[in-house]
Amino acid sequence: MPLINLPTFAADLLADFERLGTTRVDTPVIQPAEPFLDMAGEDLRRRIFLTQSETGENLCLRPEFTIPVCMRHIETATGTPKRYSYLGEVFRQRREGGSEFYQAGIEDLGTRDFAGADARAVADAVSILGKLLPERPLAVTIGDQAMFEAVVAALGLPAGWQKRLIRAFGEQTQLEALMLRLAKPEHVPGIDAKVEALLAGDDEEGLIAHIDGVMEATGYLTNASRAPKEIARRLKEKLALAGTSLDPGKLDVLREFLSLNVSLRYAPGVLADFAKSTNLPLQAAVERFDARVAAFANAGVKLSDITWRAAFGRPLDYYTGLVFEVTLRNDHRVLAGGGRYDRMLTLLGAADTIPAVGFSLWLDRIEAVRGER
Amino acid sequence: MITIALPSKGRMKEDASAIFDKAGLKIVAVGNERSYRGRIEGLDDVEIAFLSASEISREIGAGSIDFGVTGEDLIREGLSEADARVEFCARLGFGHADVVVAVPDIWLDVDTMADLGDVAADFRARHGRRLAIATKYWRLTQQFFSSQHGIQLYRIVESLGATEGAPAAGLADIIVDITSTGSTLKANHLKILSDGVMLKSQACLVRARKAEHEGNPLVGKIIAAVNAAC
Repeated sequence: MPLINLPTFAADLLADFERLGTTRVDTPVIQPAEPFLDMAGEDLRRRIFLTQSETGENLCLRPEFTIPVCMRHIETATGTPKRYSYLGEVFRQRREGGSEFYQAGIEDLGTRDFAGADARAVADAVSILGKLLPERPLAVTIGDQAMFEAVVAALGLPAGWQKRLIRAFGEQTQLEALMLRLAKPEHVPGIDAKVEALLAGDDEEGLIAHIDGVMEATGYLTNASRAPKEIARRLKEKLALAGTSLDPGKLDVLREFLSLNVSLRYAPGVLADFAKSTNLPLQAAVERFDARVAAFANAGVKLSDITWRAAFGRPLDYYTGLVFEVTLRNDHRVLAGGGRYDRMLTLLGAADTIPAVGFSLWLDRIEAVRGER
Repeated sequence: MITIALPSKGRMKEDASAIFDKAGLKIVAVGNERSYRGRIEGLDDVEIAFLSASEISREIGAGSIDFGVTGEDLIREGLSEADARVEFCARLGFGHADVVVAVPDIWLDVDTMADLGDVAADFRARHGRRLAIATKYWRLTQQFFSSQHGIQLYRIVESLGATEGAPAAGLADIIVDITSTGSTLKANHLKILSDGVMLKSQACLVRARKAEHEGNPLVGKIIAAVNAAC
């Protein structure tokens, strides 16, 4: 089928992908739905086009390229760093715009030079958009989950609390609720006397046996879902976490960090001042941040075009570090978006950790912007 | 012509008829007693259709009927942006049922949605799969879990009956279901989370928001009469 609805600039884009030394891949339009639902959660179900095969397997029209490209990489080339590019139609129900549209992008899988790969992803996105939208000033916003994780760890919170905060990173209301809760310890009501006694005696074996006994008696399988040991351990952890609070000074430090929003040119200085004035041990994380800023400069990205917003993140468990979005200056439409998702390939079944960073371009929005001149 | 759809059987049918009677809108069956058509005594421009509660929710969404009596849970589950498409004109005081999140009693460490968020986040690492929720309430579950509680990582296992048995049978980890007294949940060793009531549902008189209703005195009259009766 001739794709006569391809964006007019598709050929330029493909030439750019070649210039950037990427390997072009295509993936079938009809994809197994499970990996998408597993990665992005049930929310995606309302937005994708689902159907079932004759044998009952859930299938969907390709809602994006990253997951299929990663699965292909796992099947064919684990262990070798590779930069893939793609251009094709994706299918999603959206509030604005049609539900079939073109996306293109680059996924860099397996490169262990993190700062360099991050910088290259942003530089590539910016250079591609710069060519497609000549003389239109671009603005890049970046966020960094690793920096947030470092601040949370430096505040001395228990691991369970760190995980809760990291999970909410990027969702300001959820984070606010957690910080409110952290202002004072919480009482856990309704623990029955027998369990209370086992907890008081720090009798983990006894507690596990008690849970096991109740499950047996009530007809619950002990191996189908959460096991007695898991429940007992988390009960203890929950009580410890409920007793945790953060003094107002430290909460203010966290709020101050989340409010940072500066040009990348000044970000290293601002971070250094933050670490110094709050006296938090952030040296390693700040060094990694600075290394990336240096890599951006080396890759030829203008630091003055980039804003670092400390609270910018995506609350999905496979994102690990950099996230970024490119828009026109003073325009809200995201033309390119991407980030580092080091946890995705293991979640998809890769035996070893495979670092991954990439971005996708919203070709329909780019086309609309091109038409506005 | 205004069409009002009423439940076609059971307690819901009797309770709905009783409210309409009390409102001075006496329903008479057309043809024999078991007919699925009716009218209201003295109101020639009104037609009654007896449908199942879930059909009523669907038809009101499609705008093929003007009014319906059905559970709020079915409307909110069946229609996206329910408030923009239908008006809840009156809460009728029967058909009470809460849509709730329930977990096994023995999950001693889980009493709140926040606890469930912790468990869901670690679930895949511990069990190699996401937390599974048995329910027929896809939409309500997604709204409650993601929008209100920031929990995204779970999977829904569709359950069309005996949902409360799914955890013990190993088909799912937890459930989202309706309950009126909680006794079925208790019998299956499940507990409702303290902040796990998603919707307090009851039978409602709902109206499809249609342009032609504006300025039709009959529409206002029906709403006022039913409101006065409950």
